[in-house]
Amino acid sequence: MKLKLFLFAFAATGLFAGGSVHAQSYAITNARIVTVSGPTIERGTVVVRNGLIHAVGANVTAPSDAQVFDGTGLTVYPGFIDSLTAVGIQPPARPAGGPGGGGGGGAAAAAAAATAQAGQSNSNYPVGLRPELAAFEDIRSNEASIEANRNAGITTVLSVGRTGIFNGQSALINLAGDSAGAMVVRNPVALHISFATIPGQYPGSLLGTFSALRQMFLDARRLDEVQKIYAADPRGIRRPDDDPSLQALIPALQRQMPVVFTANRDIEIIRALDLAKEFNLRVMIAGGQEAWKVADRLKSADATVLLSMNHPRRTTAAAPDADPEPLELLRSRAEAPKNAVRLSEAGVKYAFQSGGAPNAADYLTNAGKAVEAGLSRDAAVKAMTLSAAEIFGVDNRMGSVEAGKIANLTVVRGDPFARERVITHVFVDGQVFEPKPPATPASPGGPARPGATPGAAPGIPGATPGTPPALAAVGGNFSITIDIPGQPLTGTFALTQQGASLTGSMQTQLGTAPIRDGRVTAEGFSFTATVEFGGASIDINVRGTVTGNQITGTIDSPQGTVPFTGTRNP
Amino acid sequence: MRRSFVLFVAIAMLATVPLVVPAQSSETLIRNATVLTASRGTLENTDILIRDGKISRIGRNLSAGSGARVIDATGKFVTPGILDAHSHLMLNAINEGSLSVTSMTRIRDVLNPTDIGVYRALAGGVTGALLLHGSANAIGGQSSSVKFKYGKPVEDFVIAGAPEGIKFAMGENPKRSSQTFTGGQTPRYPRTRMGTLEVMRDAFERARDYRQAWADYRSKKTRVPPRRDIELEPVVEILEGRRIVHAHGYRSDEHLNLLHMAEEFGFKIGTLQHGLEAYKFAPEIAKHGAGVSIFVDSWSYKLEAYDSIPYNAYILWKNGVNVSINSDSNERIRRLNLDAAKVMKYGGVPEQDALKMITLNPAIQMGIGNRTGSIDQGKDADIVIWSEHPFSPYAHAEITMIDGEVYFDRAQDRSRQAELRREREELEKLEVNRAPGSGGTPPRIPAERVEDDLGEHHGEIDGGHR
Repeated sequence: MKLKLFLFAFAATGLFAGGSVHAQSYAITNARIVTVSGPTIERGTVVVRNGLIHAVGANVTAPSDAQVFDGTGLTVYPGFIDSLTAVGIQPPARPAGGPGGGGGGGAAAAAAAATAQAGQSNSNYPVGLRPELAAFEDIRSNEASIEANRNAGITTVLSVGRTGIFNGQSALINLAGDSAGAMVVRNPVALHISFATIPGQYPGSLLGTFSALRQMFLDARRLDEVQKIYAADPRGIRRPDDDPSLQALIPALQRQMPVVFTANRDIEIIRALDLAKEFNLRVMIAGGQEAWKVADRLKSADATVLLSMNHPRRTTAAAPDADPEPLELLRSRAEAPKNAVRLSEAGVKYAFQSGGAPNAADYLTNAGKAVEAGLSRDAAVKAMTLSAAEIFGVDNRMGSVEAGKIANLTVVRGDPFARERVITHVFVDGQVFEPKPPATPASPGGPARPGATPGAAPGIPGATPGTPPALAAVGGNFSITIDIPGQPLTGTFALTQQGASLTGSMQTQLGTAPIRDGRVTAEGFSFTATVEFGGASIDINVRGTVTGNQITGTIDSPQGTVPFTGTRNP
Repeated sequence: MRRSFVLFVAIAMLATVPLVVPAQSSETLIRNATVLTASRGTLENTDILIRDGKISRIGRNLSAGSGARVIDATGKFVTPGILDAHSHLMLNAINEGSLSVTSMTRIRDVLNPTDIGVYRALAGGVTGALLLHGSANAIGGQSSSVKFKYGKPVEDFVIAGAPEGIKFAMGENPKRSSQTFTGGQTPRYPRTRMGTLEVMRDAFERARDYRQAWADYRSKKTRVPPRRDIELEPVVEILEGRRIVHAHGYRSDEHLNLLHMAEEFGFKIGTLQHGLEAYKFAPEIAKHGAGVSIFVDSWSYKLEAYDSIPYNAYILWKNGVNVSINSDSNERIRRLNLDAAKVMKYGGVPEQDALKMITLNPAIQMGIGNRTGSIDQGKDADIVIWSEHPFSPYAHAEITMIDGEVYFDRAQDRSRQAELRREREELEKLEVNRAPGSGGTPPRIPAERVEDDLGEHHGEIDGGHR
């Protein structure tokens, strides 16, 4: 096994030693070039040198020292940008619920974990209410999903964690580099807020979430004022307490840093816009599934939308005795792909994001649904390139195929929005990757495809030096009982483990939901799912452990934290 | 069996009725109705002219302009729109159960204007409500007074200029009687009724200090502005009589203690909510000047809710207390007219005073009695046209209007059903609306009931509201 790996690594090195590793310049010739910033060049050449686009044009010739790719039949796009994701972020390992606890044990363990985490910071605020957290700190250049996203033609992402009320401050990163610092294009970019709760403490409900945010913004504004009064003349005034959490809100209050609210339903978007107006924030909406319904408000608030392409669809199974779904919900799903074209018509600025779709390749395919729904192809491409770059303030560096810009390029054979497209080359900061269509899908840990990349090893699951060797084994079908006092809910988890990633679904009386962000650590597992409850979509976080055939853990929802237990089905 | 299926279909259809497009006309004339004014008795064969959202004229043989909508109400009954002085309808969260004082929370932040329950309430002749925070805390969140303008944007629901309110709670809920604390959870203070009162007293003391700190800053005694505290600001407003307290409670001794404490701090309690034992100290309530908002005949659902009688409303009324009948329920809100009818049976409250208990009295308790709650010239045209006398069990609300606009029209609703069914069929064919082919067994209970059942649990987990 070890030998095999060694041989592979050797082969990989050998393969590229003569080619791309040391070549600093490339030329793609005879290609169609969608520059986005200017007219499309039907047949031309792009020259890449030292990580930048050196030249673009119909009459450009490839330099003699460049490695040349014949682009006949291929189209060159600016590297596609996913304007909101968690790609690149390796969350710090969290202790999961202790084994065999049963009953309240899971909740106790979760509470203990939260306390332990809280102890690691001098913040006056609980985990979840810390705007100072920088996604950058959690970005790892060898994070598992980077390669898959790059292979899907995505060169750049705005990355931030998804937990807490303050998700933290996002970083715009290129999806290749030896270190987080090398990957960063801009950091920090924005402050991210979700209307979440902190189970078991204040704010434990949506009501409290708004008042907690309001009080923190007021306190930050005051801290700024008092600091100025103190700086002008400190005599006779007690010095203001330093507070990194409040300090982190001051740039947002001064409109230097935009604030991104995750909001999908129209009423959620309205709430976000109202709060932003109250504090005069530069507001962006992430998700925006019903943004079209409030396009006029978005326009007058000068709000930008990071529009999810993970369009909603029904996830619950049919039941003969179930009530029909609300018409409003059926309509909402039907209308979602028309969102982008309607926002365009209303003059609302937007960029696309993958919306947490589990498969990186779905991003482009899902964007294609917006095109099917009437959006022009140019507008769709722009929403994944130049518009995103403009929104994040980096359009002088990326987002179009122009000389002098960062050499982020996605080269495609076929229609980029069709599932059958082939991403032939991806350039990230001038480094070339040639994704091969996966011969055997879903075989992580197996013989990895030669990813045509120097330093490819970190991207190969199982070969990463830092990966803990012993992951918990949590796959299987489990019958579970969720211990809601007075009325336990029963259901099943169908969990498929592939290394450290977890996929599958959970099924309860509320329906069947696919799991997202599934991760396995040495101690246990965690995932997120969205259940539809009373017409609203509610995100729940599930965390647990598997011991033998027993499963135990906790489910966090906006309604609070409840433990669950269960057994593996034979 | 067959009948329950029909009922089920009816409820399911109601659940999918989309926003009614309110018929807008600057003038509406309701002709030849029996008008229960709730203020000046019953007027037979009477016309009501509505202009620009207000009741413009009431009388016989009125005429309207050429563009006016004319509704022939011959044989029908007209009442003011019903108001529910204790509701948690259209809220995406009810309780912030974490702390004992959550005066910083605002119901306004969590209004959900597309809640189907609003449409159902309109179908029961309800035009507005006092939306309250739950009862998990000694001092709960700030309330919202709304009109049920279903189909309109959220800000249109909020009654502009209505006085601000806040929820207080005493008894089992704020002391967390039914809460079980598992390992790692710390029981929340207070755990007793005396503790609850102390939490309130402490908040008032802190609010006084807070007010003083700002006074000192404004008079330039201090250079640094005090921290704006959104927990204490509403408590200051209570002390200054600018925010109405709606105090959940059951036991008479507790509610009486609250009245005494308010008197000590120099303000009045707006309403005692639930007040199942209010009949025991009706004269004291009347003397304080508080209103009471009750259920007519619902009790025994928890220990402190046993000592009640159906004559509660009558005794309070007899003592001159402003009584309203509330639902505290997204389901019961649709039948408040029948609850009002019951107080005629129990003790013999006169018809108009019974009607007031669901119209003018809750309006007064919400501080909007000068603009709605009765059919009087100059008031908001919040009006219901009933098929029968509203106290008849056979009565249906046929038209419910708010500010002169129709938000529920039973005939229009019926004629739209086929249209909606067709739309539903088309939408259900779409791939995005089709159930996943595989993936687990189907849910065992209908979603409708899941929601209700969990709603109750939600209440228990977070501290309840009843």
